Amino acid sequence: MPSEQRLHPATLLFDMARHAKRFALPSLLVIVGASQSSSGPGGMFGRMPAGWEAWLLVLFVPAMLTTIARYLSFRLRYDDHELVIRSGLIFRNERHVPFSRIQNVDAVQNVVHRLFGVVEIRVETGGGKEEEARLSVLPRSAFDEMRRHVFGERAPAAMPDTEAEAEAEPTGETLVHLPLRELLLCGFLENKGMVLVGAAYGALWETGILGGAWDRFSGGTELIGRGFFRDLIRAVVDDGPLPVGRIGIALAGVAAFLVLVRVVSMVWALVRLYDFRLTRVREDLRTEYGLFTRVTATVPIRRVQTITVRSGPLHRWLNRATVRVETAGGAGAKSAAHVREWLAPLIRRAGLPRLLQQVLPGFDLAAVAWQPVHPRAFARAVKPPLVITAIVTLGAALTIGWAAIAVFLLMLLWMVLGTRQYVAHLGWAEGDEVVAMRSGWIWQQMTLARVNKIQAVAMHQSPFDRRAAMARVRVDTAGAGEFSHRVDIPYLDHEVARRLAERLSVHAANTAFRW
Amino acid sequence: MLRCRVAEDAPVADGVDHALDPRVIPRQRIVGGIVIAVIAAGSLLGLGIGMLAEDDAPGWLLALQPVVWLALVLLGAWHAYTWPARHYRHTSYRVDDQGIEIRTGVFWRVVINVPRSRVQHIDVSQGPLDRRYGLGALVIYTAGTDHAKVDLEGLEHGRALRIRDYLLPLGAGDAV
Repeated sequence: MPSEQRLHPATLLFDMARHAKRFALPSLLVIVGASQSSSGPGGMFGRMPAGWEAWLLVLFVPAMLTTIARYLSFRLRYDDHELVIRSGLIFRNERHVPFSRIQNVDAVQNVVHRLFGVVEIRVETGGGKEEEARLSVLPRSAFDEMRRHVFGERAPAAMPDTEAEAEAEPTGETLVHLPLRELLLCGFLENKGMVLVGAAYGALWETGILGGAWDRFSGGTELIGRGFFRDLIRAVVDDGPLPVGRIGIALAGVAAFLVLVRVVSMVWALVRLYDFRLTRVREDLRTEYGLFTRVTATVPIRRVQTITVRSGPLHRWLNRATVRVETAGGAGAKSAAHVREWLAPLIRRAGLPRLLQQVLPGFDLAAVAWQPVHPRAFARAVKPPLVITAIVTLGAALTIGWAAIAVFLLMLLWMVLGTRQYVAHLGWAEGDEVVAMRSGWIWQQMTLARVNKIQAVAMHQSPFDRRAAMARVRVDTAGAGEFSHRVDIPYLDHEVARRLAERLSVHAANTAFRW
Repeated sequence: MLRCRVAEDAPVADGVDHALDPRVIPRQRIVGGIVIAVIAAGSLLGLGIGMLAEDDAPGWLLALQPVVWLALVLLGAWHAYTWPARHYRHTSYRVDDQGIEIRTGVFWRVVINVPRSRVQHIDVSQGPLDRRYGLGALVIYTAGTDHAKVDLEGLEHGRALRIRDYLLPLGAGDAV
């Protein structure tokens, strides 16, 4: 076995410098703050002995000790197929990183590093949020040695084929293109207007323009505003004359506002997604869009982890849907960087199977056998909403008395209806290459995860699940966003869940994962 | 659930559910004891300062505070003593040629399956208490999101090393 390497002695220096940098600002603030406060030196700290600032250095001692411990304990070793890093005096850790899993070896060398002839090496694999090993600092020669070990046993062609693409730029097949009409429709359906109107409202309010306008509008004409609402309440409560004309004007105002929001959203779509075009160039999907800022994004098909199809009520009425993909970066790119990219901001349902087939060859959307969740799922799912209903009703009863019955009935109706629809729209399916999950009543979402991109399969059972002999199966893929729709199937029969998890993990185990 | 203890040199990938090393129970009790002791000492300090500051509070309230404190500390100590054994009973793992399956959780149960081909790298770590009991923690890293890091604490150290060596790919050919 090859001998172990230690860090370069200059490590001590660099680590201390890093700690010093971190301490410098707070220490400075304390010193300045103390000397400037009212009663001379010491100030609010009472009477401090002269030169007390030196004691701040005591705070340095733990940092110094950890630095020394790290330096003394750190060992680096190259085995036949893996990099072995040992560290820690008290809490000892030994990390084995297979060469074949290493995506990237970076070296950082700043001016001071160069002065000492050392480098900071960062080793990245696909896992985790940060680099797997930060070797600070090693002699310059160690970097070459590391590269030789890590990449030596690989063919140089293992690197991504970016250079090959650059020389010949074939024009690919256009899969999705949004003409003006679809673009406006997309803006209308996406309804980004609220966000923009909200931002505009905030900006106008801050600058005081809105306040003036509001005063002139409500005070000048007396048409709407306080007077109107007072009349309205009087009409409802005390049988006063109902201000029908004013109600009409107010409703028209609300309608005009909603239309305005949609128009703003359409303008947004026009500017942001102008001339949206999705093309396939060999094994990559390319999207291009934007009126002023032209965005060009490349999505290598093999890096697609999940595909999500989403549609709202209007989408379904117009036979449209939106498609997004999630990809995870690989070699060259930032490690495991999560990217969420439009495949189609708007697509006709009829064109959906063809688009999905581009990403998942052989996948037939129509042939997917959707399976429902457990028959008793509704009885389980309705309980938390019922508890919420009870709490809200109780609160309402304490404040508005008997009218709480109306609140209770309305909420009950909504919760039961909503839950029934939610459960009815839950579904999952399992194909040769994908596992799919759909959910949502008003906004429906469907996510397809490729089996060869599954990282881990987990089956969860809460105490409630166990009482009902149910379980939840969650499929973990790389690069899933915090709020993205994932394959996470609740309310499955325990036995069904167990078998599904087993099949998926066996299937995943038998396919090699590639970035 | 099937459990058995295997001889030292038996292969790790036997496809059988294994419990953790039973020495994890005293180890976890010590950890829990330390945590409870620190919390108890800290809260006692706070309680003492509070009682000194409030001299106009009624006597029964002053008398009640230490009683509540003692009750909570005893409850915590009881939990720290009994929990490790319960947790031990509900934790198991299985290694086979596909990968590793870890079951854990007393009330909220989870079964995590990590295929061997998805393991990115593995740590085996040992703290001072682990060394005293000959234990080690296996930490498996994948490229996933929720389970980017899968822990299995309380294995016999040598066994943790053998599982690690088994799960890691042998050569470059395995990855592609």
